[in-house]
Amino acid sequence: MKKLLIVSLMLAPHIPAYAEDTPISGLVQTRCLITTDTNGVYGNPLPSKLSTTAADGGVVPIVRYDVTLADAYLAKITTPTAFSSSPTLSDTVTWTGTTAVSKTSDAGMSGYEAAKVTYGSTTQFDLTIAGSTWFSSESTAVYGVAKSFVGGSYTAIVLAECIAK
Amino acid sequence: MRALLLLALLPFCNAVAHEMTPTYPTFSKSFMAGISVTTLNIFNKRKDVSYYEIGVFTDEWEPIPFVSEYTIIPMKYLDTVSFDVYVSNLSLSSVEFICSVSQMQAGATVSSKICSRVK
Repeated sequence: MKKLLIVSLMLAPHIPAYAEDTPISGLVQTRCLITTDTNGVYGNPLPSKLSTTAADGGVVPIVRYDVTLADAYLAKITTPTAFSSSPTLSDTVTWTGTTAVSKTSDAGMSGYEAAKVTYGSTTQFDLTIAGSTWFSSESTAVYGVAKSFVGGSYTAIVLAECIAK
Repeated sequence: MRALLLLALLPFCNAVAHEMTPTYPTFSKSFMAGISVTTLNIFNKRKDVSYYEIGVFTDEWEPIPFVSEYTIIPMKYLDTVSFDVYVSNLSLSSVEFICSVSQMQAGATVSSKICSRVK
């Protein structure tokens, strides 16, 4: 019986223990990532006014730019100059908007705000340092001359561009 | 009460992103004579966007004719799409930017546009 056990153990297939390396590969490329951190909401503090500022009951949209290479991209953010969807309006809407740096991942980015260039409703920032920058864009729409906005749903779009230099 | 507060805040905390690489694409000869090609990638982490439009432009933002499998690329959430852009060698020297622009759906409030530069 003992011999039979030894023979069967000798004939049993080998079950070796394998140790495998499982690689996890990744590639870091020069890139720009545009992330919408916060969607904007218009508050309606006056019948004739829609505004994203907190004081007016709105929510300011915040867009984050992540760049992995310094001095490779320009950030251009354009505040709305028209509604993308709204009830039919018979009078003109006056638009104002401002974009500012709200947060940065690197202390060296503190100069972005002072160096920004504004033309029309577009604000341009030179992303000279790699990392993340948060931009907030306030937008206000005033209807006619103290005219009440028509009841309904209003949507306007902020355009966030990242242009390679 | 706490759950209610979280639900109220959730719509404002949905981080969504758009990415296009490489930053500086280079053209090479394609399988067709007189046509050059480059390959780019788009990553869609925007739940509110299902399509991205591709455009090729000069340094003055004049559009340049190009061919790609799609001009408007359909993309699911968290999809990465690799696409080729074919340009005639006659207009190759004028190509400066290749851009992708999110196509907005109802309710979206931020449109994103990323442009790579051909140096």
